Amino acid sequence: MEISYFPGCTLKTNGRNFEGTALPLLELFDIHAKELDDWYCCGVSFSQSADNLMQQIAPIRTLVKAKESGNTRLLTLCAMCYNTLQRAIFFIKSDEDKRDIIHDFMYREGTKFYGDEVEVVHLLTLLKEIGSEEIKKRVKKKVDEFKIAPYYGCMLLRPKEVAIDSSNAPEIMEEILEAAGCETTYFPFKTECCASYQIVNNSEIVKARTKKIVNSAVKNGADVIVLSCPLCFYNLDEIQIEIKKEDKNFKTIPVLYFTQILALLMGIKSEVNNFSLHYIDPTPVLKRKGLL
Amino acid sequence: MKKIGVFVCHCGINISSTVDIEAVKEALKNYPGVTHIEDYKYMCSDPGQNLLKERIKEKGLDGVVVAACSPTLHENTFRTAVMLVGMNLYNCEIANIREQCSWVHKDKKVATKKAKLIIKSVVEKALLNEELEPVKVPVTRRAMVVGAGIAGIQAALNIANSGYEVVLVDKNPSIGGRMAQLSETFPTLDCSQCILTPKMVEVSQNKNIKLMTYSEVVDVSGFVGNFKVKIKKKVKYVDWDKCNGCGICIEKCPVTVSSEFNQGVGKRKVIYTPFPQAVPNKPVLDAENCTYFIKGKCQICKKLCPPDAVDYTQVDEFVEEEVGAIVVATGYDTYDISNMEEFGAGKIPDVIDGLTFERLLSSSGPTNGEVRRPSDGKIPKEVVFISCVGSRDPEHHFSYCSKICCMYSAKHAMLYKHRVPDGQPFIFYMDVRTGGKGYEEFYQRAQEEDKVIYLRGKVSKLYREDGKIVVCGIDTLSGKYVELNADMVVLATAIRPSAGVNEFARLLKIHYDENGFLTEAHPKLRPVESLSAGIYLAGCAQAPKDIPDTIAQASGAAAMVANLFASDHLLHEPLIAGVNEDLCSGCGFCVTVCPYDARKLNKEEGIVEVNEVLCEGCGSCSASCPSGAAQQKNFTDTQLVNMVKAILKD
Amino acid sequence: MFDPKIIAFYCKWCTSAGADLAGTSRMTYKPNIVGIRVMCSSRVDPEHILDAFKNGADGVLIGGCHPGDCHYESGNYKTQKRITLLKKMINDLGIDKNRLRLEWISAAEGKRFAKVVDEFTDEVQKLGKLKI
Repeated sequence: MEISYFPGCTLKTNGRNFEGTALPLLELFDIHAKELDDWYCCGVSFSQSADNLMQQIAPIRTLVKAKESGNTRLLTLCAMCYNTLQRAIFFIKSDEDKRDIIHDFMYREGTKFYGDEVEVVHLLTLLKEIGSEEIKKRVKKKVDEFKIAPYYGCMLLRPKEVAIDSSNAPEIMEEILEAAGCETTYFPFKTECCASYQIVNNSEIVKARTKKIVNSAVKNGADVIVLSCPLCFYNLDEIQIEIKKEDKNFKTIPVLYFTQILALLMGIKSEVNNFSLHYIDPTPVLKRKGLL
Repeated sequence: MKKIGVFVCHCGINISSTVDIEAVKEALKNYPGVTHIEDYKYMCSDPGQNLLKERIKEKGLDGVVVAACSPTLHENTFRTAVMLVGMNLYNCEIANIREQCSWVHKDKKVATKKAKLIIKSVVEKALLNEELEPVKVPVTRRAMVVGAGIAGIQAALNIANSGYEVVLVDKNPSIGGRMAQLSETFPTLDCSQCILTPKMVEVSQNKNIKLMTYSEVVDVSGFVGNFKVKIKKKVKYVDWDKCNGCGICIEKCPVTVSSEFNQGVGKRKVIYTPFPQAVPNKPVLDAENCTYFIKGKCQICKKLCPPDAVDYTQVDEFVEEEVGAIVVATGYDTYDISNMEEFGAGKIPDVIDGLTFERLLSSSGPTNGEVRRPSDGKIPKEVVFISCVGSRDPEHHFSYCSKICCMYSAKHAMLYKHRVPDGQPFIFYMDVRTGGKGYEEFYQRAQEEDKVIYLRGKVSKLYREDGKIVVCGIDTLSGKYVELNADMVVLATAIRPSAGVNEFARLLKIHYDENGFLTEAHPKLRPVESLSAGIYLAGCAQAPKDIPDTIAQASGAAAMVANLFASDHLLHEPLIAGVNEDLCSGCGFCVTVCPYDARKLNKEEGIVEVNEVLCEGCGSCSASCPSGAAQQKNFTDTQLVNMVKAILKD
Repeated sequence: MFDPKIIAFYCKWCTSAGADLAGTSRMTYKPNIVGIRVMCSSRVDPEHILDAFKNGADGVLIGGCHPGDCHYESGNYKTQKRITLLKKMINDLGIDKNRLRLEWISAAEGKRFAKVVDEFTDEVQKLGKLKI
């Protein structure tokens, strides 16, 4: 099966460990993610622009490209891209007047977009559709007492119109990881925002949030945190180093994309993990648990 | 042809300044059927009415058309006048040439022309009007009250004390409803049981009240004054005629299960009364959990019952009651906390709802009135109360305000403080609404005397950590994020209509709103009536309300019932649609469009039959009838077509 | 200028009361319309409307209660279904469907009543004399 695929900028740079593990994983299920031709930024970085129509142009152009690709589904891995594209669809479907203004603005581009032509689907949703049984079949390694804390952050869950699962009590990542034989641990901060938007003007907030999230995961016995958002990854991973500098008692914990765990369990070669991109080295714990 | 008299009113100058009265008279003088025409300055005045009466007698008129103001204003006046001289009131028609003509057109020529057309069309109607008499409906002067909480109890007592018989039905083994579960009541803090139980006893002793507990209404047919209600008396496995209420069976029953009355916090036996002061104070057996019914062994209750009242062979019993009016007082449930994911979805044992907290406060409750948290029985030192849980949250739950939560949260915090003087209650709130006598003072007292800390803001989440419940929220007055380590959290969950009430409403053919509350006939002017005649509403089934409002509405409903029973007949407007049996082909189109089930297809005869009492006279059936057999009286096809022609002729 | 003849059927509870309110508020509107008061808009048989066109009406207006407000629970919904269908039919018969209009006007909407009458009269005026 072929599905159109929108990588987004981060996955080609700091997020190579995400894309690098996700695409081979999909191939195991005979799903070929076909990258859109000539794509550009999803538009998330415009989201604070005062003109809230302008910020829709980039995602809509991407959706038009997806429409023209001939596939009706567009896969995303990055939670930010997912959120931006899905909200653009929601926007265009819920406000006809503004939709018309956008169409007028884009008249030279020839293609109009109404919202129903393309379905944006996040990798987690796709894996859930594939189902526990199929996931179980492809698992090659067995792990014992490896406690994973799935962290959702906000982009996959809010606003609720675009949520891939319940906004307050999501379970989708747990379901997939448990199907692959992992043990997941509940921690109350799994849906808390990591405060990434504050990284430039108030990094103290980011530190405080990260500390809270990490402490909560550690307290609940997690060996690693897994997630699906490059921005959360950066915050939870690198910021821990900063916190450690200030607080010697702070206990760090490795952070991974959920696809990295699945890829290791399903026997995909470990090089795709690009562990050099991690600030807190996950390899010791992975070795200890027999995954490396 | 009928002799019609036309009377044109000047209404001072209200009509005559824009309508040329003489020209109107001239144009209608020779109109077919018009035998007399006259004008007068004020037709509605006494001399005007006398003139009308005189001319009817003098000229031998069969019908009159008064061309004046809107029929809403004086149709009744003129119809009363013509009746005094022996004319059937339906032979008097009003042509509205003021509101719909002289007042809205400035040009005298066009207004005059239009007035002529209006009058001519009404003359056409008057020519073919039938003499009609109101439909007389006998009334069964006996009422049914469904639900025996405080609303049902109040309504039943009021009706019974007016001298009419009442059948009081409740699905639970005892009457008392939600109020029986409450600890103390705001704003006076008198104990709920103390004020309720005397009323419950009064019900059991009132000769006019036939009590049917552990029973459910399964079918309703008929109409105002003449309802037939089928009731299922659920199987109790105890013969209440024999049972003397000694309670030995309850004492000796070896199996305990969680008690519904105590909101699952306490236990009850399998053979049980819901609470010690139950009325009737006789037990029922819950077969689902009974060892005898599961394993075929035990029978302790049967062996020990002194009057041998336990009977395992009993089955559901069905009875039918005939009543003239029904009061629906089915009460409320609270919104299940499993719906509140951000508050632990019911998985945290020490996060409870307000009704459960009532049971913890109640001196007859599972903890004998000591506040002890469900998880480990410890006395909580910090308790957080959260209001508007599910209410006022249109995005996720319900948009309405549950009305009583502000007051009962204040009461809870106060009572908690009275029980645990070194404890600290906190209340998270959106607004504090204290409309009601003595309510604002009560709220002030909670803050000043009992030192309840009010935090204005919402709680974003709560979670368990180290035996505490961490409550994360915002205090919008200080603008600060707040984190409280509570021992217990009480959620003021939304008031919901009780389970199954919407199915029940469909049985009764009454409406409910988008939230499931029963709809009153008019939000301001008819708050205790449903849209179906003879069915009245009381208590939280209609909308969330506190005890005083419930009592007021229940008494109001009872007064409406007594009003209905004041005479042994009802009069019903006769502008209904009948059936011309010669024309009816039995197609049944009219049956499907009738909103009142007034029309039934008699398949054997192949014709439709009409229940004149149920027909409200909308005329929808007449419009759907292909053969013209269904004609609305005085709005027949011929009349309407003639009216149209009269308007278009010139 | 062409002076159209317009028949209106309106229900006693809402639209007729709305028309009364327009009067009590001393609003003015075009005089071409003459109303017939029925108990409910659902009393109006499509045949009455066809009859009106046949007898020289250039336009027919039906006024009922707003959805959910019908005094007879659901009369206005039935009217809506009938009128929707009838509009298609008269169009096929060569009567412009815009000559038939259904409006929900409540007892509180005197102003709206006047506006609807004026608009509809203008529209029928533009369509000209109905020729069958």
